[in-house]
Order: sequence, then structure tokens, then C-alpha cells
Amino acid sequence: MKRIRLGDIIIFLLSLVIIVASLGSYGSLSGKPEVRVQAEGREWIYDLSVDTIASFQGPVGATSIEIQDGKVHVLDSDCRNKVCIAAGWISASGQWIICLPNNVFIRIEGTTQPKPGGVDDISF
Amino acid sequence: MTYPSKSRQVRIEFVALLAACALFLSTVEYLIPKPVPFMRIGLANLPLIIGLGLLKEKEYMLLALLKVLGQGLVTGTIFSYIVLFSIAGTIASTTLMYIVYRFFNRWVSLIGVSIAGAMASNIAQLLLSRYLLFGAAARLIAPPFLVVGLISSILLGIFAQQFVQKSQWYNSLQEGPL
Repeated sequence: MKRIRLGDIIIFLLSLVIIVASLGSYGSLSGKPEVRVQAEGREWIYDLSVDTIASFQGPVGATSIEIQDGKVHVLDSDCRNKVCIAAGWISASGQWIICLPNNVFIRIEGTTQPKPGGVDDISF
Repeated sequence: MTYPSKSRQVRIEFVALLAACALFLSTVEYLIPKPVPFMRIGLANLPLIIGLGLLKEKEYMLLALLKVLGQGLVTGTIFSYIVLFSIAGTIASTTLMYIVYRFFNRWVSLIGVSIAGAMASNIAQLLLSRYLLFGAAARLIAPPFLVVGLISSILLGIFAQQFVQKSQWYNSLQEGPL
């Protein structure tokens, strides 16, 4: 009985293809940094470098977000737990905030400049 | 099932033995600390991979059911919605592994079977979380989830393949009482 056979390699390569395809879900992590908000069944795109306040309607009320100095956070939300507000500011590409009760999904895409000498957020 | 009663008894006992192994391995897996809850090794699937060469269809389904029950019991999730993920993953992986083993046995070793099972299980669970829990955001957890599944399934597959080739117990079972 041979150890590794042709079928194994085919299955392995298929799995790799699936994984690479799933990486596409992170969207374009290059290009101009932008804030993408999914709410009300649509998607809004905001420039991360332009300060704005925007409000979105969801099943439990309104959720408003604020973009300031290249960062974004949830300013206020009518949801019960306020987890989205507690999530605080996000500024790096790939980061996201979700308000589950109100169905609002905020994420950053594009290339964001890491702070010089900055410490990784999850280091402790 | 139409076995003589003696042989049938032996086979049922063998299913029970593999199910007991799955229960034990679930406990071991539960003890291992994980950085994120969804990162799993899938140790409890080992009896399901090894059982492929020895069990008939119905016995294999019974083993899968017992594994879900045992795992739910050990992790304490048996009466919560989390058990749905376990059921979905196990049905998807056992079905695919059984098909791959039965029809492509000539070209695929247990390593390939293991990878196919892990991918099927992970994709089923991702789809479930897509529609049940997180919505579209579920795709963000997909890549790490699938990568971990791929790596751990390769290791499990190598172990299972070695075991099936080298174990005298396994080979005596294949020729003898079963």
C-alpha cells in the first residue's frame, strides 16, 4: 500500500483552491482606505480620510457612525447591549465592527498606514 | 442487517468500542486550550476515519450519531444550538468520507479521506453560521477556520494511514471476526 496517492494530492490542491477563494472574502486590502457599511440591505462606502457622521436604520432603530482622523467608531446605536459602541475606534484595514441586533456591519478596506513604531493592538 | 447473531454481536460491540474511543478523544480535545473556540483539532474524528475500512453503511451512521452524542455530552453543548453545528459538520464529513473511501479507494489514501472530511465539515459549519448566526460576516472567519482544518486533518490522516497499515489488531479484525 502506497502512502500518498494521486487522489490525496488532488484533494489537497482542491482544498487549497477553496482556501484561496475564501481569502477573497477579505476584499481588496489594497487601494484607497475606505469604510464599507452594510445596512438596510445595501452597502455604503465612505472615504476614511473625510470626517463624517452617518446614520443607518435597522430592525431595532438607528445606528450612527462617526469617521474622524482616519478612524471610525459607532457613535450611538439603539441596540440593547451596545457592544458595537464598546468596540471603540478602528482604523486598520481588515478591522470591523458589527452591531448584530441592528444588522449593521462596518469594515475597513484598502491600505492603511501602520502607525510608526506602533504596537499591535492585540499584543499584551 | 442479516448477519448470524454471533457475528452481529461482535460488530455491534466493535461500533461501541470505536464510539467509546470517540468519546475519550472528545474529552482529550476539550482539555486542550484553544486561542479561539472554533479552532478545533478534530481528534474525535479519528475513529470515524479508522472505522471506514471495517464498518458497513448503517454501522458507520450509528458510529457518527454516537460521536455527536458523546461530543455533545463531554463539551456540555448537547442541548444547545451548538450541537446543530456538530450534527451538520458530522453529517457532511461522514457522508463525503464514506463516498470518497467507497468509490475512490484505489486512488485515495486515508490522508485524502481525512482532508475531504475536514473540508466538508468546515464548509457545512461555515454555511450554517452564515445563515444562522453571523450573516454575511461569517466569511471573515472562513480562511483561518479552513486553514486550521486542513492542517489538522492532514496530521490526523497521516496517523490514521499509519495505524491502518501497521496495527496488527486492525488487520486481524479485517480478516477475522468482522
